[in-house]
Amino acid sequence: MLTKITIISKYTFKELLKSRILYITLVIGIALMVVTYVATEFTFGVPEKVALDFGLGMLSLSSLGISLFMGATLLPNEINSRTVYMVISRPVPRWVFISGKILGLMGVLLVNVAILSTMTMLCSYLLGGVINQAIIMAIIFNVLECMLLLLVVVFFSLFCNTILSSSISLVILMLGHAVKETQATGFVEKRPMVKALLEFYHLILPGFYKLNLKEFVIYNQQIDTSYLMNSFLYGSAYSLFLFCTIIYIFNRKNLD
Amino acid sequence: MIEFNGVTKIFKTELLSQPFVALKNVSFHVPQGSMVGFLGANGAGKTTSLKIIMDFIRPTEGSVEFTNLGKERFEIFKKIGFLPERPYFYQNLSGHEFLNFMGSLSELTAVDIQRGIAKWAPRFKIDHALNRPLKTYSKGMLQRIGFLATILHEPELIILDEPLSGLDPIGRKELKDVIVEVHREGKTVFFSSHIVPDIEEICDRVIFLKEGQLVYDGTVDKLLKSEDKTEYTIKFKADHTLKLDTRIKHQHSLPGGLQVVTVPETAKNFLINELVTKDIDIVGVEHIKPSLEEIFYHIKSN
Repeated sequence: MLTKITIISKYTFKELLKSRILYITLVIGIALMVVTYVATEFTFGVPEKVALDFGLGMLSLSSLGISLFMGATLLPNEINSRTVYMVISRPVPRWVFISGKILGLMGVLLVNVAILSTMTMLCSYLLGGVINQAIIMAIIFNVLECMLLLLVVVFFSLFCNTILSSSISLVILMLGHAVKETQATGFVEKRPMVKALLEFYHLILPGFYKLNLKEFVIYNQQIDTSYLMNSFLYGSAYSLFLFCTIIYIFNRKNLD
Repeated sequence: MIEFNGVTKIFKTELLSQPFVALKNVSFHVPQGSMVGFLGANGAGKTTSLKIIMDFIRPTEGSVEFTNLGKERFEIFKKIGFLPERPYFYQNLSGHEFLNFMGSLSELTAVDIQRGIAKWAPRFKIDHALNRPLKTYSKGMLQRIGFLATILHEPELIILDEPLSGLDPIGRKELKDVIVEVHREGKTVFFSSHIVPDIEEICDRVIFLKEGQLVYDGTVDKLLKSEDKTEYTIKFKADHTLKLDTRIKHQHSLPGGLQVVTVPETAKNFLINELVTKDIDIVGVEHIKPSLEEIFYHIKSN
């Protein structure tokens, strides 16, 4: 079965790569170089930080964008164009098909991350910045965040149309980043009902803020190892849970 | 080879809408080694039945069983080739990549895939286009490469959903020839179509669906005979004022002094005798057989 997952992910990767999705990566890469050049002219003393900030920001935005929009069409396109029938009418279980599709899209995400992170680190380094472990960690956690978002959007695409599934996932992504700071506001502190509601939300929906290490990198803050471990386990466990749920539902879904 | 047992399929499209019954207790079987045509008007339930057979959707009631293909799903699906209706495939993959993809999923080696492509691609006249992306293929070319992918792993059971739609007359003839060829190699072929003459031409059995219910499951010959009124047309040279003693059903004149009469089988020999006695030149005698298409429309309208 592993061979078949590899075959499906390989051709999914090829298909997506040829759809010129990585042109976005190229455009962002060029924009990164232009911004870095401009930053050296206008910022005093910290151009490498601007390059790092802009680079990591763009890396995060483009990868989340790919997860959100490509993820929302990953399965509906297969069903609408009946290509799924050509695959699962062969000795290929449904879970193998969906695993291969998700892995193929993850491959595209990894290429995007690899290109942009290399360019970001190169620009920062050329401007006198230091490549440290925190930057690498921020990039790894960005991949984990994109994987989680991809699984969220694929999960909703099993029930909703493309627009709805990407919209719901975008809202969950934004709430997942804002939930911690919202909980700490005076408005929430004074209202136990709202606080309970947010805690309940926290229990069920993904806390994307846990996977965002960019601020640690930009402000040179020390990242606690236990925080890293907890966040990594949280992201991985949530992704695994979602992945299993997607397989369970897809196995029972009417593909009409 | 396929046993479709008492299948009912009910779709619930909207929360408050009435459920839609697509299939009502439908049972039929596809014998091993046969070529079976699956007929029915649009919305009769043909594609729904095929989707249930292929386990894309589950029946509300009833079951599907495969005989002589194995016990496990994995084992059975290795021996099935399925082509969906109007497939689009992966637009950015080339023909070669697509066939390699499908072949490797069917557990063929690279050598087997290349052998299959070398055998069939020239027959389907797509060998020149295999390096091009599928998005540049015409509808007919897509249908042909889809069929190639369906038979690449030499399945024992071939299931095709409207395989001849979208093809020009020459393309249809070529595809029908290949279907007949693979059937002669011992494969079981089950295909849906609304082009009745195509099914009459190549199938030995036919299954009729009407509004989600089974109307007929049996041989084409039996169906044709059941609707055969055994009448004959006799064409002869004579003036239209000629009076005949034999009871005739219908008479009309053709240019060049030809008369065409229709008689039941019981009156055929009487009329021929009478015409010979009166020294009238008989041009032809023809047995009137209803076509499958006429029967299909007759069933549809009743």
